[in-house]
This record gives sequence, structure tokens and C-alpha cells, in this order.
Amino acid sequence: MRTVAVRYRVLHETLYDYEQAASTGHHLAHLTPRNTPWQRLESHTVSISPAPSEKSSRLDYFGNTALHFSHATSHRTLGVRADSIVEVRSQIPGWDVALPWEDVVRDLRVRATDEAPPLAEFCLASPNVPVLTVTSDYARVNFTPRRPLLEALVALTERIRKDFVYDPLATTISTPIAEVAQRRRGVCQDFAHFMLSGLRGLGLAARYMSGYILNEPTAQSPAPRGADTSHAWVAVYCAGSSWIGCDPTNGKLADLEFVTLGWGRDFSDVTPLRGVVLGAGTPPPKVAVEVIRL
Amino acid sequence: MSPPLFAGYAGTASRYDELLDAAARPRAHWTRFCAALDGMGPDALRARLDSVSREIREGGITYNVYADPQGLDRPWDLDCMPLILPADEWALIEAGVKQRATLLNQVLGDIYGDKTLLKKGLLPAFPVLGHSGYLRPACGMQVPGDIFLHHYAADLARSPDGQWWVLADRTQAPSGAAYALENRLMVARMFPEIFRDLKVERLAGYFAALRDALVHYAPTGGGPCLVVILTPGPFNETYFEHTVLSRYLGFPLVEGGDLVVRGNCVWLKTLEGLQRVHAILRRQDDAYCDPLELRADSALGVPGLTECARHGTVLIANALGAGVMESGALLGYLPGICRALLGTALQLPSIATWWCGEPAALTDVIAKMDHLVFKPADAAHRFEPVFGQDLNGTATRKFTARLRAAPEQYIAQEMVQMSQAPSFSQGPNLGARSVGVRVFAIATPTGYRVMPGGLTRVSTTADPRVISTQRGGSSKDTWIFARRGEAPVQTLLGESITRARAIISSRVVEHLFWFGRYAERCDDTARLIRVALNSLVQDTEPTTQRLAALARHLDLKTQTHPSTLMWSKAATLEEDPAGLPAQLKHLARVAFGLRERMSLDNWRIINRLVQDPTIGRQVSVAEALGWLDRAIIALMTVSGFTLDGMTRDLGWRFLSLGRRLERLTFLCTTLNVAFEETTPGNLTWLLELCDSVVTFRARYMTQTDWATVLELLVFDVTNPRALQFQLHGICSYLPKLPGGIDIPEFARLTALADQLQLMSKREPSPTTLRDWVREIQAAAFALSDGLAARYFNHLRHPTGHP
Repeated sequence: MRTVAVRYRVLHETLYDYEQAASTGHHLAHLTPRNTPWQRLESHTVSISPAPSEKSSRLDYFGNTALHFSHATSHRTLGVRADSIVEVRSQIPGWDVALPWEDVVRDLRVRATDEAPPLAEFCLASPNVPVLTVTSDYARVNFTPRRPLLEALVALTERIRKDFVYDPLATTISTPIAEVAQRRRGVCQDFAHFMLSGLRGLGLAARYMSGYILNEPTAQSPAPRGADTSHAWVAVYCAGSSWIGCDPTNGKLADLEFVTLGWGRDFSDVTPLRGVVLGAGTPPPKVAVEVIRL
Repeated sequence: MSPPLFAGYAGTASRYDELLDAAARPRAHWTRFCAALDGMGPDALRARLDSVSREIREGGITYNVYADPQGLDRPWDLDCMPLILPADEWALIEAGVKQRATLLNQVLGDIYGDKTLLKKGLLPAFPVLGHSGYLRPACGMQVPGDIFLHHYAADLARSPDGQWWVLADRTQAPSGAAYALENRLMVARMFPEIFRDLKVERLAGYFAALRDALVHYAPTGGGPCLVVILTPGPFNETYFEHTVLSRYLGFPLVEGGDLVVRGNCVWLKTLEGLQRVHAILRRQDDAYCDPLELRADSALGVPGLTECARHGTVLIANALGAGVMESGALLGYLPGICRALLGTALQLPSIATWWCGEPAALTDVIAKMDHLVFKPADAAHRFEPVFGQDLNGTATRKFTARLRAAPEQYIAQEMVQMSQAPSFSQGPNLGARSVGVRVFAIATPTGYRVMPGGLTRVSTTADPRVISTQRGGSSKDTWIFARRGEAPVQTLLGESITRARAIISSRVVEHLFWFGRYAERCDDTARLIRVALNSLVQDTEPTTQRLAALARHLDLKTQTHPSTLMWSKAATLEEDPAGLPAQLKHLARVAFGLRERMSLDNWRIINRLVQDPTIGRQVSVAEALGWLDRAIIALMTVSGFTLDGMTRDLGWRFLSLGRRLERLTFLCTTLNVAFEETTPGNLTWLLELCDSVVTFRARYMTQTDWATVLELLVFDVTNPRALQFQLHGICSYLPKLPGGIDIPEFARLTALADQLQLMSKREPSPTTLRDWVREIQAAAFALSDGLAARYFNHLRHPTGHP
């Protein structure tokens, strides 16, 4: 059994270059890595330029750190740079390898209102994740009767990796998953939403995970997909309080190479940076992510 | 025996009759009213009914219906026959509604707080967490006084056994209270003697309490309190009601774009700068209130509002997230929750309702489908109610399949045979209509207070099972007799509150500016058409050509050969975007946006104008001329109001600026066309168009020549129709606006006015004036843009990202 821990420095930079000067801007950021049983945040700063007129942070409904900041004076550009050092340990040893998936579904019926927020939150459709027949039918192929949850998840995760083409130009943030399911193209966020929809349709509780993946090509494998940008994957409720992380984009379980920012029902709950600015056209920002193994 | 008026009215065995008892005699609480009504006689009654419907039309009392082919403003459908409820029965309703409001408020506190009800299984998780109205950003918020539900309404109906039931709870932004007030004003005026003699409970105290309660709960820190009413805008179905509330409560009516968040506080944009807002009575659905944290696609919201609520710097009534309690899926659980939270039984029961997401309930409702009506558990899943009794064979199988596929999206309700009451819906003869009552309550520091009365809603003839204002039902006033010994509170007639007018938002200022422009443009257009028709009738050839040229400059639809037909069309048909009816429509639209600031009389005139029977028809020249005379007189009255009835505040200055600017540009266009005239004897049309014939004759008593015409229409600073008069006006208003002298065009226009004055001494020819007029016109256009950029900046809509 491995008990290794890995330390990372993560730099996440976003730059908006507005078409005209923005007179007012309000932003909400989810850029602070979360402390979890497998992850410890050692240091963290967010620098914003120009300096905001207000800045405050709080814990949101899902327990993530939400940073609010606003600008009351005119500005042409907005830069947000998050710099974090985290230590990540393996979660795999805690996962039950033999538990059949139906038992988890049954357990959830009893435990639906346990925990805060309630587990039921992750069983229901959410703004970006409708529960569709097409997605649950897709997932059911791997969820044969009495199959252990972990085994079924590994199979499903690998299958999505094989069936879907990674194509950053195919989708936008607002592409519905029905379309993703049909065209079988997209990016990490689309694959995560697709998988969440299928799993929730089976009665499982599944979270949308927002974070980063280490960009480190090895002799055996090329660089993972979704590196150099913020990444998204899925965590599925197993038993007790353990959740199994699955990355359908790369077809593997989420382990030591994954740095977690936070989680929610889908992208809309944990968008890394969202905002409303007055008086300016907002072309897409330039985003740069760097994950450095320390 | 029945009085004659009620002769044609009959009860039915299957319904409770509000008027008649089992022996077909009027119930005790109706007898005095019936006798009084009968005493009026049918002719007097008919006359009063007619006058009420005229008042509604001209008073512009409306309810907007989305996708209504009749256009936006459908007149409010008031059935003048009030519904009378006995005091003892009302006492039970009042107590029940109070208890229910208290309960729902506590449920909101729980589901946005500890969620004990979910954990204890008193409320299943799905209908709450799966409801689109459950707003997670609102979780864990502290609200002043633990009040989430500041105003609440319950839709009640009475079953054949006389029992009252709650059909639905309104917790998002309950509408109807101000319509009840309008109904009351009208019905009280229709039956003034009866109303006074019967001592009907007044409504004023309820609204006063609402105002006081909002001020009480608002986090002002002890200073003066600014409460605003947040409306989605004139396209909302109940916008009229928002304007009534604004006027009656004295709170400014604002749209999301009028508010801005700075330093975690909410501010109202006014001409004098930002004013801190302490409380928002919202008539906008909560999900649309903040594009940053709630619906990102909302263009109506105030970015950052949720964070302000979290910091406790502003009271939002109702609290963000309150709409979730409208879910019919919760109704079935209220009796249990009431016992658990309040320790008593639910006094006012809900109509039997099942949430189909419970497997046992699903089996039950499928078995007795015929007796049930199916509705969405979440209003976001829009579908029409499905009546089980309307289904058969295939339809039943299909619907059952739909139910089983997504049972959690449905609720099933027992059908109520609603009670019936006498109605004037078909004129002075009484008919029977199904009725339900919307009862209103507000949170006050001493507990919930119920409006003594309410909005009685009347079914359409088409389907007595459905009461819906959206679908064309009408409404009634609701009379409760004052309990003995209780003095009626002060009367509510008249518009006593003026506080709202003291604060002028940027949006209102823009509307006033455009009101001025459109009023003037309508006047100019009407005069032009009138002069043109007259000249065609008198066959004065060069003039008709000049006027046709002017029409082209003003983008009116023209033909190569001007004809009376062409001009009559411009007078009455809406298809010409520059024609009179289209311009009047613009005027009415802008006036609608100012509804809460306009006097009723002013409003009536505009309504009468846009509803003129001539509009939309192709008419004879004589008819067209008659209509133009009417229109011009009415428009002069409107302009008289602004001169005689408005305080000289900033709003008035903007209105006047709009009027002067419009007149100036029209005059410039007109002069440029007139300058083509080589025979000055033919300039009578110009004087007529500029309403200056009388002045001219009085002053000069000669034939027209260029020198006298230019003196009167260009240089004369005392002629309100002259160019210089407009320039002087504009140059004197601008410095009185905050930052007005910094507008670049101010200096330019002042210089032009000075130069024009110098020029007047030299008696210039039309040719030399032409370039000046062009330059003045260009400066006027630039000023209009400059004013918009400086004062109407709320038009810059926010854009969201990512």
C-alpha cells in the first residue's frame, strides 16, 4: 500500500482584455484549493490587478471557498492570479473494492439527507446536468447486476475516454449534454457532465470536481488531456464518507496527479471565475495554468 | 322573496352558493346589500356600470398578457358585484392565513438553514432540493427579524359543504393586493352610499402596515430609510400594479438597471448621484435578481445583490429563495410540519394534494385519476393542468406513461367544485360564476396581518374549473363588514403620498426626456398632416409639393403625387412608422414607463388618444381632419399639464429639454424645406405649421415675406414656436442639470444662439441662414446623444462572463 504524498505548486492566471473600459465589475471566484482528507493547502494567494475596491471570501453551500471581489472604477483589463501550494495523498486505499453498486444506491435512499449539503444534492438533476435516458442507458452498460461499484466505474470511465473525442473547438460552456452525447466530442467539463448525468440516472450520488491535473508526460504516456487549463472530473459516493474520483477525460481514477479546487453539482456551482462587468465587451480571457511538482 | 334584480339568478345543487341559501333566499349578510342595490333601479345601475368600464379604460388599469394578440395592455376586467363574506367566517380565514404565513416562514428558515425538516423526514428532500426555486446561494443567510416571507397570499376556494380550502400559496412576489385596492376604489365609487352605510372594512390600514413593516425591518442603522419597489419592467403582466404600489406606498419604482452595488451596499442611480437603498420590495422573481450568483442569463438583475443580502446591508422582501414554497409538492406535508413546528393543527387545510414522487402516492393517484387534476410540481416545468376526467382510453394510457416516466415532476390535486357568486360579467343582468379569493398577509413586528378583504377571482365561462387572470378571468372586490365597535381606519381615496417623486432615478429621467420628445413629435406630425390635407383640399399646388418634400425628410411614407389618401393614411394607419398612430404608440409606451409619476387625468388623455376609434381605419378627409383636431387639442392639454401641473424639478427640466430639442429639429427640417420657396407670398403653410398665423396677422397685417417670416419663426425670443426661443430654453435648462455645463454641446449651442441674435440685426436672406440652420440641427442631434451618454448611462447593459 502506498502512503506517498506529493506537493504541488499551482499557478492559475486569467487575463481579460475588454473591448471598451469596464466601469463596474463584480466577480465570484472559486480558485482556492480545498482542504480534504487527502489534500492539504499549505499556502495560497490570489492577486488581482487592478486592485479591487472590495474583496471578501466565505465558504459556499458546498464548503468551497468563494472569493468575491468588485471594481468600482474604470478599467480596461482584469488579471487574476492564484498561486497555491498543496500536498496530495492517495485516496485509493480507502475505497471499497467489493461493494456492489446497487447496495450504494440502497444506502443512499436511507442517507439522502445526511451530511451538509445533503447527499441527495448529488443524486438530482442540476442546472447543467439534466438526467437523460440517453446518458443513463449509456452508463447502464457497465453497471451490470451486483457488479462492484469501483469496477463498474473504472469500466465506464475508460469507455467514455475511448468513445469521446477531445476537441476544445467542438463545444462551449453552454453546449447541452444531449448534444455532447450525440456528437461525442468535447472537453473535460462536457465529459464530466455526461458521466454525472448517467450516474445520477442510476440513482448514484455524483459530484462535479473542479481542479487541475499534473501535466507530466512520461515515457509510457503522453501529456494528459485537460492539462494547462483548469480540469474537471467526477467523484462518486461510495460508502461511509468516501467518494471515488473518476476522470473520464483521461480514462482513469483521480489520484495523486489531481489537485482539487472544490466541488458542486456541476460546473455552474464551482466556476473558477465568473463575473458581470458593466460597459465592456468581454472576449474570452487568456487562461494559463501551471502545475509544478515540488 | 328575491328582489327583481336577482330574479334571473339561480343556485345549483352541486355548488355552494355565496348569495343564496338552500331555500334560495339571500343569506343574512347579503340582505342589506341586495335591498340597497334593488333600490337603485336598473337604469341607474346600468349607467354606473358604464361609467366604471370607461374609467378602467381611460385610467389605463391593465393586466398584461404575454402573447396576447390584442397587444400588451388588456383592460383590467372588473366585475362590479362585490363578494360579501360574513364577519365570523372571515375571522376563521384570517386566523388560518396568519397561521399559514407563520408556518411557511418557519419552513423557509429551516430549509435555508439547518434542514431539520428534511433530516427528520417531515419533508422529502426531492421537492425541496430538486425545485428550481431552491436557491443555494441563499442558504445560511441571516434575515432581519427571521422574516423570509414579508408578503404572502393564499388562493382559497370553497367546496360545496361551505368549507374553505387553500389551492395554492404565493410566496415569490404575490401579486394582486394593489389590484384589490383599485377594485375597491372603483366599486366604492360605484356604490358610495351602500359602501358607507354597510361599514365595509377598509384596506388602507393594510398598506400602511406594509410600509411601516418594511421600514421597521430595513437595516438603516437608525437613519432615514429608502425603500424601492423592484419591477421587471413595463412588459411584466402586473406592471400596472407595481405602479399603483409605488404611488400608494410612496416608494420609488425601479428596474434592476437603476440599482448598483458598491461596497456591499445597494444604491439607486439618481441624477444627484447614488442614494443608498435599505429595502427592496421585489416584484421580480428571485432567480432573476442577481446575474452574478443566481441566473447568469438575467438581464434584469443587480450584480452583487446576493452578497449584499448576505452582508445584511439590504432587506429583500421576500427573501431570496422564498419562491420554493409555491411548490404544490409541499402541500401534503404541511399538516405534519405544522404539528411539529407550531404544536397545533393546520387551521386552514390545503386541498388534498399528492406529490407523485412518493411511490405509494403515485399508485393511488393513478387509480383515482378521474377525480384529480395534475399540475407541475415545479412551475419551471410548464404545462397546462391536466384534468383526469378529460382523459379517456389512449389519452389516459399516454398520460399514465408520462407520469411514471418522471413522477417527481407532478402533483395531483383533488378537484374542488368551487362556490358560485352573482356576477355582472354579462352586463346589468346577474349571472352565476365560480369564484375563489386571494387573501393577502404581511409580516409586521407583532405578527402577520391579513388584508380585510382580498382579490376575488372569477372564472371565465369557458371552464368553471379554472380561475386565471392570465387566461382572461375577471375579478371582484371583497367586502367584509367591520366588526362592531371597531372604528374604520382613515379613507384611502386620493394620492396622498408624494415621497416617491422626491427621488428621480436615471431611468425615469430618460423616460421624461422621451416623453417630451414624443409629445412634441406627435404634435408636429398631426399639424403637418392637417396643413397638408387642407392645402390639398384647397388645391394650392406649390404648397402640396413642399409639404410632400417635408414628409420625405421626416421619413413618412410618400408617393410621387401627394394625395389626400396618402396623408389620411399617415393620420390613421399604424403601418407607417413615422405616421401619427405609430408616434402616439411610442408616446403611450413611454408614458406607461412613467405611470407611477403621472397624474390620472394626464394618463387618461393619452389613453383616450391611442384608443381613438379612428385609428386603424381608412377614413374620409373630413373624418381625418376631425381626428387631427381632436389629437392636437389633446396634445396641447398634455403639454398644458406639464406647464401647469409639474413641479420645476430635474424631471421637468428633462421633459422640457426633450420637447425643445424635438421642436428645434423639426423647425430646422421645416425651414430647410421652406428655404426652397422663391415666392414668399406662398409661406402661409409654414405659419400654419408653426401655429403662428394669428401672431403673424396681429403683428404685421401684410402679405408674408421672408423678412417678417424669419423674424417671427427664427429670431423672435418671445414666440414659443421660434427657433431662437428653443435655443434660449435649452441653454437656460442645461446649467441647471448636475454637470450640465460640462456637456460639450452646451458651449456650442450657446455660441450659436449668440451669433443668431447678432445676425437678426442684419436681416439675412434664406440662403445665408441655410447653413446656420443646418449647424444648429447638427448641434441639437449631438446634444441629444450627449444627454444620453451623460445621464442615461443605465442603458449600458452588463455582460456576463465566462
